[in-house]
Amino acid sequence: MAEKFHAELKNLKKDTVAMAGLGRSMLRTAVDALIRQDKEMAASVVAQKDEIHRMEVEIEEHCYQLIALNQPMAKDMRVIACTLKVITASMRIGRYGKVIANIVREISDKPHIANMMSIPHMADLVIDMVDDAVLAYDKDDISIIRDFSVRDDTIDALRHSIFREGITYMMEDPKNISRCTHYIMAARYLERCADHSCKIAENVHYMHTGERIEIH
Amino acid sequence: MSDTCVISTTNLNLWYHEKHALEAVTMKIPKNRVTALIGPSGCGKSTLLRCFNRLNDLIDHVKITGEIMLDDENIHAPDTDVVHLRKRVGMVFQKPNPFPKSIYENIAYGPRVHGVTDKAGLDKVVEQSLRHAAIWDEVKDRLGDSALGLSGGQQQRLCIARTLAVNPEVILMDEPCSALDPIATAKIENLMDRLKTEYTVIIVTHSMQQAARVSDYTGFMYLGKLIECGRTKEIFEHPREELTENYITGRFG
Repeated sequence: MAEKFHAELKNLKKDTVAMAGLGRSMLRTAVDALIRQDKEMAASVVAQKDEIHRMEVEIEEHCYQLIALNQPMAKDMRVIACTLKVITASMRIGRYGKVIANIVREISDKPHIANMMSIPHMADLVIDMVDDAVLAYDKDDISIIRDFSVRDDTIDALRHSIFREGITYMMEDPKNISRCTHYIMAARYLERCADHSCKIAENVHYMHTGERIEIH
Repeated sequence: MSDTCVISTTNLNLWYHEKHALEAVTMKIPKNRVTALIGPSGCGKSTLLRCFNRLNDLIDHVKITGEIMLDDENIHAPDTDVVHLRKRVGMVFQKPNPFPKSIYENIAYGPRVHGVTDKAGLDKVVEQSLRHAAIWDEVKDRLGDSALGLSGGQQQRLCIARTLAVNPEVILMDEPCSALDPIATAKIENLMDRLKTEYTVIIVTHSMQQAARVSDYTGFMYLGKLIECGRTKEIFEHPREELTENYITGRFG
């Protein structure tokens, strides 16, 4: 029976990595749609919200079923506990993708200001963090997430810099206020996605070692 | 372990003939706590349990080295009174084994051997022991009936009451629920939780879920060695040893 349970755990992880991949892809596509001002692309992200929700519910139910039927312990228990956190974080990341996609509708009529400041660069860094956190979960390898604290600091600094820069464009011309406010909000959503990748990393560390850490 | 310890073993070794059944076991049993011993069949957990009240003395060709201390007394010291030791360290076995006597006589037997003879004194001990073992309400109106007429779960609680009647300090339980159904098992587990306020309980169990449910401390044994011993929640959440991890996650055993 233990063999069957461990095969199910492997499948659970596979499904979770697939769901995290969808959340990541929603975020990536939304940022690309924002950069290119592509409304169709943005609409495709919004359309995926039901699918990611369905995956989250399915994986969550699978976790509860595995707990109820197998009373897992030690590493097995920690894999399931971590999985429950990974799917929550992935759902949030996907939803921030959807929220960024909604911005595209609002600001696609006129050209970007200042090439969107550092938003494209910030998005690349955030998506790298999401990728690495999920890879660490998939491979059970905490060496991948060792530098997350420093990487999260960089993201915070970029958000702050986008905020200050956005204010200066607003002060220059009040017509920029609406557009720059959306940029500042997009930077805020990206920063939250980095925080969710840190949450995944913290849980992967717990899954791997049994010890808690906090990534600031 | 920060709790006060009641039994400690140091470098305990035991051989049955040539078979080295316990190898250099050093552990502490905390007072007023439930300690569970787990491990695959033949790992030595029952043998270790039986060392604590010298039941292995009854088996031929057993050789023991090392030390077992009960409070400050070495239980292998030449002047140890084994009958007194077994009064202090009682035992409940896998299969309920009531005497073929009345319920009352099963409980009164031990105190009588230890010198309680007046009827009022015996009545009091019988009632108190049956109450402590959470079976008084079920048997109070039929104390004269044969103990063999009780259900398996009731017989096991009767055996626990019989152990309590001589006022032990430590209660050893060797797979006490393996012959019982889930409801009777739940009653014994609840009982263990209550008993630890007054006694120290050591339980051998093949069920890891039971060890996780009932114990405060857990020792994992493998091929005669104590691999790891610590707080139950730590052993089952993140054991230090890979062998423990592999056993409790069902990868062997």
